[in-house]
Amino acid sequence: MAALDPGALVAQIEAAMTAKVGQDVTALEGFASEQLNQIAQEAATIAAGALDGSITGDNQTFLLGNLAEETRSFVNTLAGLAVVSAEEVWNAAVGVIWAAINKATGLALTVP
Amino acid sequence: MRRARKVMAACAVTLALGGCQTMLAAAYDPTIATALSTANSDIQALFVSIGTDAPVSTFGARKPAYDHIIAELDAVLIEIKARPIPNPEVLAKVNQALEAVHVGGITVDPDFSSYPSARSVADMVKVLTQMENADQQAGLHKELIPGFEQPVITYLTQAITYENFLKR
Repeated sequence: MAALDPGALVAQIEAAMTAKVGQDVTALEGFASEQLNQIAQEAATIAAGALDGSITGDNQTFLLGNLAEETRSFVNTLAGLAVVSAEEVWNAAVGVIWAAINKATGLALTVP
Repeated sequence: MRRARKVMAACAVTLALGGCQTMLAAAYDPTIATALSTANSDIQALFVSIGTDAPVSTFGARKPAYDHIIAELDAVLIEIKARPIPNPEVLAKVNQALEAVHVGGITVDPDFSSYPSARSVADMVKVLTQMENADQQAGLHKELIPGFEQPVITYLTQAITYENFLKR
């Protein structure tokens, strides 16, 4: 049975959380960048359609309103992805803590 | 030494509270992911058939595709919403924390959904319905085609990205 080294445990927790956050931040940044580019392109398309007369009347009204909804839905999705990421980071930390306790105590406790 | 005591206190609290691994979002469902992938293929096929110009005279040939795609999206929407949300109280607190760090305004958005992919799919159906109506009335021409295609792609990306992210 080994003593639990708090300093080493902190480093392990930080490493596990940083690794998970790092992966997720990369994924979320890529998603956000792509979405914002798409939304900007849509705005340009609507403007071009207004100028050449192909996007007018009800279609123009609908697409402009939808552009606002696209942005809100993007934020909703980003928040949802952040929640999943927070869950993964939390569980990574809990997993490291439990492994350290098991090693120190010689018990085989499972994470509830 | 003070930091070590804080770590031990945190461990003690974690143990006292159950130290549980937790789920803050719905479980990954491969059937939903597959259904969205299938819908994506069908949507791409529709836009390929539309090309750069779709005369109203050929709308009849496209109508079955519209009907099929909207029906399959309505079906996957029900499946998305049928999943239970784990720990709704914890989820509410997490959403408040996100708003506090400037992922702003989400809890005051009346259409905010704990199922982001459901919102994206529902929005996609609205766009495709409007697009079908426009196509039926006058065909699809010039900027109106990307005008509809781009938001469909944006919503598809949101839904597929979120559902795949649930695979953890």
